Parts: sequence; C-alpha cells; structure tokens
Amino acid sequence: MDDARLHRRGREILLTWALLLALMLTSLGSAYLRLGVFNMVAGLAIAAIKSALVLWIFMRLRSAPALIRLVAAAGFALWGVLVVLSGVDYATRAETPAEAQRPLQLVPQPAASAASPVVSRPAPA
Amino acid sequence: MSGTMRPARAGSGRRPDPALAPLPEPGADPDTGKLGMWIFLASEVLFFGGVFVAYLYGRTHWPAGFALASRHTDVVLGTLNTAVLLTSSAIVALAVACEEHPGARRWTANLLWTTAALGLAFLAIKGVEYRGEWQEHLFPTADFALAGTAGAEEFFALYVVATGLHAVHLSIGVAALAVFARARRLRRPWADARRIEVVALYWHFVDIVWIFLYPLIYLVSRHG
Repeated sequence: MDDARLHRRGREILLTWALLLALMLTSLGSAYLRLGVFNMVAGLAIAAIKSALVLWIFMRLRSAPALIRLVAAAGFALWGVLVVLSGVDYATRAETPAEAQRPLQLVPQPAASAASPVVSRPAPA
Repeated sequence: MSGTMRPARAGSGRRPDPALAPLPEPGADPDTGKLGMWIFLASEVLFFGGVFVAYLYGRTHWPAGFALASRHTDVVLGTLNTAVLLTSSAIVALAVACEEHPGARRWTANLLWTTAALGLAFLAIKGVEYRGEWQEHLFPTADFALAGTAGAEEFFALYVVATGLHAVHLSIGVAALAVFARARRLRRPWADARRIEVVALYWHFVDIVWIFLYPLIYLVSRHG
C-alpha cells in the first residue's frame, strides 16, 4: 500500500465511522416516534445498513474475491432459511403460549426436619 | 459486429471487479487464514441467529411485554456502548491499513491497543448496566420485578443470553487484540498483516452482532 492509497483508505474509514454514528443517532431518534410496527422495521433496516457498511468497507468485502463474498453471503442466506423454516411452525401456531413456569424454591428447614425438605412455589405476583 | 457484442471493459478505465479475478491455480496458496475466519463467522451468524429467531418469536407474541421490558433497559449506556464499539471497529480497520503500509507500521501496535481498550470500556459499561438491572430485579430469577406482564421475563432472559454471549465473544476479541498488539510491538514475525486482518475481521463481526442487538434491546418502544 502506497501513501496515496493509505490516505484514501484513512479517509474512507473516517467517513464510514461518521456515517455509522449518524445512523445510530437516527435509529435512536426513530424509537421516540410513534410508528407502530415500523419502529421495529426502522430499527432493523438501519441496523442492516450499518452492518452492510461494516461488511463492505471495514471488512473489505468490496475488494474481496468471489470465494470470500460467497462464504459471507452463505452465512446470512442460511440464517434466512432458519428464520423461514422456524416461522412455518412458530408464526402460524394459533394457540396462546402458556406463561413460563415459575422456578421452584426450597424453603429453608430447621436442622431437625432437614431430612425431608419441603418444596413450595413462590406466591404468584 | 463482434466489437459491439463485447463490453468495452478493458478500455473503459474502470477498476476491474475483484470478484471476477481468476481463481488461484490449483496448489497455489490461497489466503487460508482469511477464508477460514469467514467460514467461522458464517457459522457464528447461525449461532447468534438462533437467539435472534427466539427474539422475533417473543416480540411478535408478547409485543406489550417486550415494549415494557425494553423501557426498563438503560438507553443512555446502550447508545454509549454502541458508539464505543463502532469507534473500535473503525480503529482496528485503520490498524490493518497501517500494517499494510511500511511507513505507517509503527502505528499498528498502538491502534490495536486502543481497540482492545475500547473493548474493555464496553465491558465496564456493560458491567455497570448489569449491576443496575440486578438491583432492580430485572434478571429473570424468582423475584423478577415485571413478573405481572407476560413476555417481560422472556425479554430479559433473551437479553441476558444475547448480551452474555456477546460479552464472551468480545472478551476473546480483546485477548486476541492484546496478543497481537504485544507481538507487533516486539516485532514477532508471525504478527503480520494477514493475521492482523483475520483478528480484525472477528472484531468487526462482534461489532455487527451488537449493531443488531442495539435496536432490539434498547429501542423497542421508547415513546410509550
């Protein structure tokens, strides 16, 4: 890497960093707006843009050979398969999920009756 | 006629697309370190991906509980930590660029140390956050503070798992950065540009995981 390329790369990294911080603040601001489901959409879309910047510029996928790009894409593509196939079950299940079971607690016992510990549930909140 | 069939790629003055570069000859040494790290990171996408799927399930089934629970997280410390990690990623990218330039190599070790220090700062801020949440009974234990709202406990269970796994990854990254920063300072021959880039790739990935955790943990519903 010569001087000119180092300077260009330095400028590029600085610019990307500023853009990432600006996007972070945009994401923060969007959370205070009443957007309904679009609060989540905005948050995830901005996160996707930020990670694309990190992948493309910081991790240099932009100048990576096809083999590296393919491996990077395969990870995200397989995650997409995981989401869709899990959704086939979870997103289409009609029943209301049961409340998670409260953990059981052992009640402290006096030394004499310690042989048979009594199990009790905490009082429901 | 044949001149119009072929795009004027060679004469156009554009930089050739690196993705179209010829594959290495059989037996030639590919950049195995870099490729190996990318394969590992692809597996890590699926590792953290499972947690994200669980989150999506919870968020779509208990939207009110997730919104309430998210309002109990510390958005100031969360945003500060996001800025810390984004900055650390930029600095480690600079370290790689400096290592590839003979005149700038004297900066590499310091930049790697700075990245590791920012990682430690992140962990310290996270520790302060955990302490506050423990004191407010927000950890999913028997005396969970928001037990009356369905989904709130699921949110904090996922919060602890996701940020905990992320912190473990970050700690490994800090250790790797420190090893390479020290080796670079001592001019160990194995701490070369290719290996430093592999460590940097890992660090950037830890940053990407946090980029997605940030809106999902802290920004679910701040207006409520």
